[in-house]
Formats: sequence, C-alpha cells, structure tokens
Amino acid sequence: MKLVDVRFHAPRGLEEALALLEGLKDARVMAGGTDLLVDIKQGLREVRDIVSLHRIAELKGIEDEGDRLRIGALVTVRELASNAAVAKHIPALADAARSMASEQIRSIATIGGNISSAVPSADLPPPLIAADAGVELESSRSARRMSLLEFFTGPRETVCLATELLRSVVIPLPPPNTGISYFRFTLREASALAVASVACRITLKSGVVDRATVVLGAVAPTPILANKASRSLLGKNPSAELFREAASHAKEEAKPISDIRGCVWHRKELVHVLTQRALAEALERALGKAEVAE
Amino acid sequence: MSPVEIPRDFHRLIVLKVNGESYPLAVRDGDTLLDVLRDKLRLTGTKKGCDLGACGACTVLLDGEPRNSCLILAAACEGKEITTIEGIGKDGGLHPVQRAFVNHGAIQCGFCTSGMVMSAVALVERNPDPTAAEIREALSGNLCRCTGYGRIVEAVKNWKRYESADQPPEHRGDLKKHDVVGRSVPRVDAVEKVTGRAKYAADLYLQNLLHGKILHSPIPHGVIKKIDTSAAEALPGVKLVLTGKDVPDITYGVSPARYDEHVLAKEKVRHVGDEVAAVFAVDEVTAERALDLIDVEYEELPAVFDPVEATKEGAPVIHEKSKNNINTVVDHHFGDVDKGFAEADLVWEEEFVGNHVYQSPIEPHASIAHWEDDGHTLVLYSSTQVPHYVHYMVARVLDIPLGRIRVMRPPVGGGFGVKAATTPLDLLTALASQKLGRPVKMVYTRKEMYLYGRGRHKQHMRFRIGLTKEGRITAVQSRIFLDGGAYTSFGVITAYYAGSMIPTLYYIPNYRYEGFRVMTNKPACGAMRGHGAPQPRFAFECLLNMMADELGIDPVEIRLLNAIDANTRTRNELDVRSCEFKATLTEVARETRWKEKYGKLPPGHGIGIGCGGFVSGAGYAIYRGQVQRSSEKTPHPFVKRAVFPHANAIVKVSEDGTAVVLLILAAEIGQGSSTVLSQLCAEALGVSLKRVRIRTEDSDICPLDLGAYSSRTTLMGGNAVVRAAKDVLKKLLGSVSELWGCSPEALEVKDEQIVEKGGEGRAMAWAEAARKYFNDNGPLVGTGWYKPPEGLGGDYKGAAVGTSPAFSFGSSVCECSVDLETGKVRIERFTDYHDCGTPVNPQAVHGQVEGAVVMGAGETIMEEVVYDEKGNILNPDLHHYLIMTMKDAPEIMSGVVDSYEPEGPYGAKEVGEGATLPVLAAVAHAIANATGVWVKELPITPERILKAMRATEG
Repeated sequence: MKLVDVRFHAPRGLEEALALLEGLKDARVMAGGTDLLVDIKQGLREVRDIVSLHRIAELKGIEDEGDRLRIGALVTVRELASNAAVAKHIPALADAARSMASEQIRSIATIGGNISSAVPSADLPPPLIAADAGVELESSRSARRMSLLEFFTGPRETVCLATELLRSVVIPLPPPNTGISYFRFTLREASALAVASVACRITLKSGVVDRATVVLGAVAPTPILANKASRSLLGKNPSAELFREAASHAKEEAKPISDIRGCVWHRKELVHVLTQRALAEALERALGKAEVAE
Repeated sequence: MSPVEIPRDFHRLIVLKVNGESYPLAVRDGDTLLDVLRDKLRLTGTKKGCDLGACGACTVLLDGEPRNSCLILAAACEGKEITTIEGIGKDGGLHPVQRAFVNHGAIQCGFCTSGMVMSAVALVERNPDPTAAEIREALSGNLCRCTGYGRIVEAVKNWKRYESADQPPEHRGDLKKHDVVGRSVPRVDAVEKVTGRAKYAADLYLQNLLHGKILHSPIPHGVIKKIDTSAAEALPGVKLVLTGKDVPDITYGVSPARYDEHVLAKEKVRHVGDEVAAVFAVDEVTAERALDLIDVEYEELPAVFDPVEATKEGAPVIHEKSKNNINTVVDHHFGDVDKGFAEADLVWEEEFVGNHVYQSPIEPHASIAHWEDDGHTLVLYSSTQVPHYVHYMVARVLDIPLGRIRVMRPPVGGGFGVKAATTPLDLLTALASQKLGRPVKMVYTRKEMYLYGRGRHKQHMRFRIGLTKEGRITAVQSRIFLDGGAYTSFGVITAYYAGSMIPTLYYIPNYRYEGFRVMTNKPACGAMRGHGAPQPRFAFECLLNMMADELGIDPVEIRLLNAIDANTRTRNELDVRSCEFKATLTEVARETRWKEKYGKLPPGHGIGIGCGGFVSGAGYAIYRGQVQRSSEKTPHPFVKRAVFPHANAIVKVSEDGTAVVLLILAAEIGQGSSTVLSQLCAEALGVSLKRVRIRTEDSDICPLDLGAYSSRTTLMGGNAVVRAAKDVLKKLLGSVSELWGCSPEALEVKDEQIVEKGGEGRAMAWAEAARKYFNDNGPLVGTGWYKPPEGLGGDYKGAAVGTSPAFSFGSSVCECSVDLETGKVRIERFTDYHDCGTPVNPQAVHGQVEGAVVMGAGETIMEEVVYDEKGNILNPDLHHYLIMTMKDAPEIMSGVVDSYEPEGPYGAKEVGEGATLPVLAAVAHAIANATGVWVKELPITPERILKAMRATEG
C-alpha cells in the first residue's frame, strides 16, 4: 500500500471521527502525521484509510482546570514548548518538547501523536509519566481513562483499540515542594532521537524525599518506572551520594537493546549519568517551588 | 502470477491558496503538499531532498509557520495560506532575508536555500532580532551540506540591514591588487538560487515525459535465475520494462582498466541495491507499482562484507576476474624503510580504522534524456559533477560517437564526489528514451542514493612512523585495506591516493605504502572529498601527535621541523611549486594561542591540530587517449603528458560590445566555480564582472572541461578562461592599434577603457572598441585551453595518481569539550589556515573551508553508513545517517596565508577538497587532549570515547 493509495478522511467533529473509526477497517488516526506518513512512505505500515483529526476543535487547546492541566491530543509540540501553564507547572514537559526534532516538525507533531505512536524513544511520555499523567481514550461506544504508564504495551503498541482515539492528556498539578525534570542523550544537537532518557520527580516533605519517581525512556520496549531507584530515595535526605545510589539501581533496571544509536553498555551508562543529573535538577526545582510556596 | 490488481486511487477536488492565489486542483488523497506544489503547480523552488521530513529542503509556510511540505497531505491544506519561496519577494524584488543570503555568501549549491530562507523568514517575522542561538535553533531542521552554516547564521542575524537597499558588507581579507580577482563578490548564481528559480535536473518537466524506476536486488549476492516482467508490462500506463538482457553487453565504470558494471545486472547481483530491472511509465507511481509486479527468482550465494575476510581462501568470489576479491594492489617503496626505522630513536606502529561515510548532498541524483534531430542526437540532462565523463561513458555504452550526444548539466545541488561518475540513471534514461521515442526522467529517492553508494571507502590502516629524538621523520610505512564494495568505480585511483598524498606535507626520506582494495558485497565505494587521502592523513597525523607527546615535542614544532618548502620534489616524485605550509602552521598556532592552551586545559577540554593538503587538479585525465568513442581506440599506452586539453574556454563578446559570454563546460556544483571563472574572465579582459555572463551547462555550446573533481576547476578552468580572455584582448587591442596607428603593446585596459599606456593619450570605451571590432571583422571570440605540464610524476606504476600542477596546504586547530561522563563531544571552535594561492574570491574560499570543516567534523564524530549482517543499510535516510545540523556546527575562523602559485591563474590554486584533510585529525587530537585517550576508530562516538576511558581506568 503506497501513500498515494490511501483514502483521506477529515471529520469535522469528534463524533464523526469516532463513527468513521467504527466503520472503517485498517484505518489509522492521524494527528500531525510526522510519524505516520514517514512510516507509510517507508513501507512500514499498511494503511488504507487515514482519519485526520486536524479539523476537530475539541482536541485542541490546553486547559488549566485548577487542579490539573488538560491537554488536547492535537496540541502541537511547539505549543507545549511555549505554553505558559506548562512552563509554570510542568517545566520538564516544556524541556522535553523543546528538545524534540526540529522547528518544522515541532509545529506539526502533536502530544497525542507522540504518545500514540509509542516509539520507545519518544520524549514526551517520560516527563508525563513522572507527573502522573493520565490519558483519556474515547470510542463511539465508550470512554475510558488510565494512567499513561498503562497505556503502553510494547514498542509501537498500546492499549488503544482501532476504534478508539486518544482524546486528551490530563496532568494533576504537582503538589508543593515537587520538582520534575527530564534529561535525554542524543548523538546530535537537533533532529535526533533519544539514545536514553530519564525523567525524575521528587516531592520533599520536611527536607526528606516523600515521593520519588524515576522514569526511563529509550531503554526498554516502553517507558518504564525504575521502581528500585524510586524506592531507594524515599524518606532520605537528598544528596549526591543518595542520587548516585538511586542511579545505580536505575542502571540495573534499564533493559535496553543495542541498535545503531547505541549499545546496551552505553545506554546503561547513560541511564546512570542521566538519572543523577535528572534527580539533581528535580531537587532544585522542588526546592525552588518550596521557596515560592513560602 | 496473480492477475494484475490496479489499486484504486482516491481523488478529490480541492482549492489551495498558494502565495495569495487560489488554485482549484484535482489531487489524490495521498498526495503530499510537496508533490502537488512541484508536479501540479510547477513551483519547483520547493525542493525534494529526502521526502521524509529530515532535511528541510521542502519547507514552506503554512499560515506563517514553517512546515515540511513532504509531511503534509495536500488534502489537509485547504483553507490555509501556503507560502513558498516564490511568494516571499517584495514588490517584485527580493525579501531582505534573501538579499542577506546573497551578500553574506550563505548560498553554495543552493538546494537547501529555499527551505532555509523559508525557515528564516518565519523566524524573523515573529522575532525580528534573533540571537545566533535562536537562529541555530529555528533553522536546525534545515540541513545544509555545503556552507558549514556560519554564513547563514550571519545572514539571518543581519537581515534588517537589507530592508532598504543593498548594503554589501565589508569583506575581510579582500585583496586590492586586482580589480575583480581577490574580491568577495556575491556569487553570479546566488539570486537564481535564493529565489528558487534555479532549475535543478529534477525541476525540469519536459512535455510528454515518462518516468523510470529501478528494481533493486534485495539480496547481497546471488545469481538471477529468472525474471518475469509480464505482470508489470500488463499494468496500464507502463511503457517499457528493461532487464539485463535488454541492455548492452558493454561494461562501464570509471577506471578504464576495470570497467565492471552493466546498466542492469546481467547474471549476478553483487550487493543489496544492485540494479536488476527498470520500469518506464506515465508517472512515477505507476512505475513504482509495476516494480512490485516483477517476479525475480534468485539463487542466493554466500556473501562477504568484511574486506579482510574477503581476501581469505574460500571466501565468496564476487568477480571472477578479481582473485581473492582483491581489486587493486599497490606496493610503493621509496628509499629504504628498514634503514629508516633503524635510524630512528622512536618507532611506533598503530592500527586505525576509518568509516564508510556518504557524501549526502541534499539534491538527489536525477537524469532526463530525450532524442532530438529526429532521433539522431541524444540530449541528456544530468545532475553530475563531470559532464564530460558522463558524455564519454554514455557514448561508450550506447556505442555512438560523442558528437551525437549533448550533455546538459543544470545547477547541481552538491556532489562531493558522489556525482563524479556516470550513474545508472544517465544510462537508463538514455536507453529508454531511445527505445520509446519520448523523454524519460529518473530521480533517485534518498534511500536509492545509499543503495547506489559511491561513498568514502572504509580503510583499515596500519601506520608506522620512525622519528629521531629531535622529532625528525626517518621513515613512514603504511599498510591499508580499503573496503571497496561490489564494483571498482573510482577504487583503483582511491587506492593510489591513499598512499600518494602522505609524502606531500613533510620530508619523508623513506616511505612505503602497501594498499589493497578489496571487493565486498556492498554498494561500490567511490571518490569523496579528499579522495582516498583523508583517512590515511587522519591516521598519520594522529600517530605523529602521539609520538610528539612521547618525545616531549610540541605538535606544532614537530610539524614545522618536518614541513616541506616551496619547489620540492616529494619522495614519491610529485613536484610542489608554491608551498606556504609552514605559514599555515604558524598562523593557526598564533590565532588559537596554541602554546598557552596545549597541555594546559582542564579535563574535558581539548585542543588539537591536524594538517593536510591536496592536488589542484589531477595531472592526467581519467581515461587514456583522445576524446573519442572508446571502442574506436586502439589500446593506448600511458604517456607522461596530457593528450588533450583538460580545460577549454571560449569568450564571446556580444555584437554591441556591452556583454561578454564565457563558455566552458566547468561544473558548478555549489563550490562557486562559475563565479570564480567569471571573475578571472572579467579581470583578464579588464571589464567589470557584471558584463560577464557564464554558460556552463550545455556541451553543444561549451567547450570541454573535465569537470568538478580533484579540485581542478580554479586552476585548470581558470587558466583556460584567462587565455581565452587574453585572446579576445589581443584581437581587440590589435584592431584599436590599427585604428590609432600605434603598436598593440602601447595599449592597455583601464576602467573599461582602452587607453594608451602612460596616461594622457587617446582612450576608447571597451564596449565601443568591441562593437567596432564586430562591424569590421565579425565575431569577437577568443579561445583558450589548458594542459597540465608535461612529464608530471615518476616512472613507477601508479605514479600518475597524485600528480598535479600545484598543491594546497592547510593546518587546522580544533577546540572541543567532552562530557567525561557520557562521552559526548561538543566541537566549539575550529580555526583553519589554508594556502590556496591567490584567493580569487575570499568569501567563496572561506565558504569552502567552513563547509569542509563541518563535513569533516561530522565525519569524525557521527557519520557512518551501517549495515546489518545481510548487507542491508540500516540508516539509508537523513534521520538515521547523521550529518551535522546548524546546532552542531562549531564556530569557524578561516584564514588564508599569502601565497602565489606560478602555475595558477593570477596565482590561484585549490581549496575545496584540501580543507577537508586536516579536519579529522584535528578533531581526534582535540578529543584525545580532552579525555586522555586516543580513539583510533572512526567515527569517534561517545560510546567509543567512554569505552576507551574506562579501559584506561582499568
């Protein structure tokens, strides 16, 4: 199936889109298309029908709902990188967005697409998972909600059914004294996929780590939680020593493969380094937040 | 065979608003905006470089935002304001950003320029005063392979200066000795390129055009048992299917002793991507569909991918003619290396491994052929660096005289060696258009470019150097295996260059080089910028730096101690005339404050040096004998002189005397040859540059020039141009002297006036004199030609490779930082001093150096074509084959030293390739200096650096 053979659908509303997904076989949802069209051109995907979401207003925009941010699936990476609410509450997400691809791609690619493509090296999922983000899926028959972590089932595989689409991403606003960070390693400075990436979250209470999350990207079939690393931080006073120990756990928990971007050994080394750096930055942000709160 | 299923296209009518105009269009649902803009609206300023959103050449504005038009479906663009390069000019003139690009030398091949300008325009619209960092961020999705990016950043930073009128910037380093030579004038083709008006081969749409596509072998080695093309032929819209049996039995290639390719595979396929069949149809899509319907049965043979493995007994044999797959053996021994090493106080031997890198010009190869004069004359448009060699090779394969072929070379979007040979596209379009009686067009996809190959040979090198304790070189020995891929192409020459360029920098009393070019089941390697020399140069310079450290001698000092001087015959019998190598060393050390930094930087920060030099045009043509159909020649023994002139020019003055047309087949591929040759022409004639128009694209009109390879155009083309101009001047002055009754020697040209020497005398405007000449004598035309000096090189086998009328020299210093925890390298500053003789256009010289630095630095730290165990390329696209972006490129300071080459026009020699040679070693040295470990395998990736550091930690 070549790109020229596809049938293009551009529903004007969510309901129409979902009805189309229900009725068509082998249909693919297209948000920005930066992954999907490349895959079709390279012959990696057989697609007969493309259901483009670009006209659907319900999927656009970032809403500050008081205790959470709701980000529509069609919000572009560029919007994420420059949105004030994102910068204020989840700066790590803005960091991740800014680090991605190129200006041109950032202005087409969307948060919904970056998540739904489920590429193991995707940049937005780790900081989102660290921020406890959830996703809302909808089909013409039902709607469901789950944590983003549960959404991924494998490389380029998710729980999303062919009749469903990811409608929005919901991020609870981090509690006070919380810092979230994202670090990635790439082989060049722009238009590069992560060789390894780490997102960390630290919530402090009376100077000790009350909650910690370490998320690893590009080193497993899906973004994964480094649980041992996270647990090792709990109840402790943050220090370089503590972070190094947590990073050692993270390195053990990483399950990378060797490919043209990096071998298992280097990826594990990178996880070790990036985890320490990400924890240090998360701590700084957590402390910074505390000052603001006071 | 299953019945032919014709997939159903889904079409729709849409209205696109492009550059303010509404266009009703019928498009397929799956058509990209890029294809619709180009194929339907013929807005070909928007370029197709990769078609996967990786290069940015197709950038357009959608409601003011930059987008890759290859990643948007046209059907999704209704209701949006689409702006292309054709739509950004203001009041019929250029946008200020465009003027800034022109004046800052931000344009070389021009193929990335449209997209680059679009990204820049989008940026300055929302941020009129961007910082350099903001520019590098905003334009990082636009890849450029020529410029090294620095001048683009400068252009965008200064765009506001061009809002009103043209305000050409002051140019650093302009010479004042001449009127036109030595001046940084904007390129003569810059405006055509910055507006998107320049038509590259793929931008041409002839009437009644057919499109061709190639079926490539999916296996690395095998015998073709059977090909069934019936289903493909039955597909409506398919006009012709060709397989090996339909193409001539005549082989082709580059090195005449080893023509080993057929237009399509005859019996065997030798690498994944080998050409098996070709389909010609009414459009590209139909041709592609037909490829899927061709049924090929292969008997797969064992394959070999490693050059050392390939030479072992029992390894699969790729060509019957090449025993043990050894394609070429070189054994050059000058002096006595054993004696030399015995005299040394320190002898070190190290192994180095190069990388297989790919030129990656942003323009893919394209050819279009048709036959004119009722089928008598082939007209072939090709995106080539070497129109003459294409001409020669197409004549050979079609077995027709060269006189029946007209080669057209449209602007070429970068070459770097990958367009220096005749391609299957050239031959297939020629053959198919002959059979079909219709024009045929073929364009490679980005992936096909990698399958065609001709990238840099990966060299496995062992180097041994002997030094006295004072640091003097006593002997150098190298043994190199070159991984050649499945065909010879340039490979014989590459193998010689790997040895011949080592003795050109330093006095080497004893030198031995053993080279083995080995065939493997991968796409053929060819000539890439610096041809064969960069990797051995990298190895030699690295080893010299290691040994200098061991002896406690400063790396700059050890080079000055051994550096050659002007008028030297090298150990391998190359004659160097001008040589300011030592000056490049002292200048680069001064500029970088080398002595204050080397050995004194904190961990993680490094400084390194590398040197290099290159030929200024090959001393001998690639083929022997005269310009003639190869089958009509008797075997021609090698003679130590040029058989025919390598460069030829015609200067023709318009009948009214106001314009000069310069005709020469020299290939402008972005390096700036058209500008440099025009400047030389204007200078020699004594007229201003704006009177000169250059025509280089048509072999019917332009006399032979061998093309853009071996850095030959400035010196050889330039000499021919200057002679042709002087021929005109002689005629002109002769006619004026007759009129005035004085001797021609009493006349000279000043400020476009012909005047009597000494001032005060009579004067006549140049144009008036020229007009008079035409009225009295007919056309005012001058011709000029250039043959390299006779007797170049020694008398040993292979002595011809490396000979040249002149040699360039350069020294580079790289300053970098390395993240010692991850191994990541940041190349921060790069300083290069080059001896290029007289810089005809300093801005163009620096542009070539900057491009070479960024290409060379990327080659050193991130570039490599990677294969899987079945011979498939794992990164045949610009997402995964990494070339430096604007954010990766270092700051570059390029300087030239005073030099004058007696054999060059106005003292000029080369810069294009020579500037690549010092880069690899300078980067490697800086990394070693920052980390304390040497990585001897390219590319020097973070992973390799970190591993080497861990290894020394024990």
